[in-house]
Amino acid sequence: MQVKTQVMSWFSKFRTSNARSTAKDRMRTMLTHDRLELPAGRLECMEEELMAVVSRYFELDKTTTKFDLQQYDRRASLIANFPLTRSKC
Amino acid sequence: MSGRVIVITSGKGGVGKTTASANLGVALAGTGASVALVDMDIGLRNLDILMGLENRVVYNLVDVVEERCKLRQALVKDKRHPNLSLLPAAQTRDKTAVTADQMRELCAELRKIFDFVLIDSPAGIETGFQNAVAGADEAVVVTTPEMSAVRDADRIIGLLEARKDEIEQYRLVVNRYRPNMVQTNDMMSVDDVLDILSVELLGIVPEDEEIIISTNKGEPVSGTDNIRSGLAFRNIARRLRGEEVPLMDFEALNQTWLNRLVKFFSPSQV
Repeated sequence: MQVKTQVMSWFSKFRTSNARSTAKDRMRTMLTHDRLELPAGRLECMEEELMAVVSRYFELDKTTTKFDLQQYDRRASLIANFPLTRSKC
Repeated sequence: MSGRVIVITSGKGGVGKTTASANLGVALAGTGASVALVDMDIGLRNLDILMGLENRVVYNLVDVVEERCKLRQALVKDKRHPNLSLLPAAQTRDKTAVTADQMRELCAELRKIFDFVLIDSPAGIETGFQNAVAGADEAVVVTTPEMSAVRDADRIIGLLEARKDEIEQYRLVVNRYRPNMVQTNDMMSVDDVLDILSVELLGIVPEDEEIIISTNKGEPVSGTDNIRSGLAFRNIARRLRGEEVPLMDFEALNQTWLNRLVKFFSPSQV
């Protein structure tokens, strides 16, 4: 039993799927939404609206925008990064 | 004298609240403190079974609240642990049989008699939970390293945070820990759970078949030497008393010659 576990542990280092990190990532996203009582799709909706506003003033590089919620000490903050190419005025 | 009232809670059912309550009760009593174990799971009484006291229950918590008996009459003294008493839940009533104010009063009475009053909370976040936390000044949140248990623990922590002026402190116990599965990256580690919940750790209890055996015998593991989970609970009890006790080294418990060999040859993992 012990030996089997050791061997499995050794082989698992070559395995690409990782239930542990999947669980952790899913938990993070889930709890961020839970804590803010944020329904699915709401964040994406806001991102679109914000992008629309910003693109009225600037040309945006839409391939590298970042829009994300991050947790620190049970508090969420919105991290938005809209790289600008140039002004539209 | 004014004892500490600590609620043992979790949100999700089946993660080990009652097991933790029974074991911490026995372990705290073992350190010389006087302890009252209060079963707040009205309608679904179980703590008496884990303590092996089910045949000695005469009156219960609801009888005390409704003044059918004196508090002292309802307390079941554990003969194996002379400074440990159980206040059983009523089995034929439900969570609405007591109010939060009645619980506050009851806890105030109990803390005059005992050093520690441990409240075993029912699962859920409704009336039963609200009543269980009503008279408490500290909380122990029990979880397992599974997603559903962690999510429910997070909800409970949120509710405890909202009661900041009453609940001075809450700490986490990670129960049913399986270091082998963490090692193979199949399960979240304690650090993963702490990272997600941002909460202070009180202790880790390994998954242990001895718990099932001890429940069947009606004698919590923390009262027996040479059982890993029992030692984990005794460590937690000492931490509750303010002692600094290092966490169990689960890695070392799994160190065998093959493990060392594998470690020696494999590149270190982040």
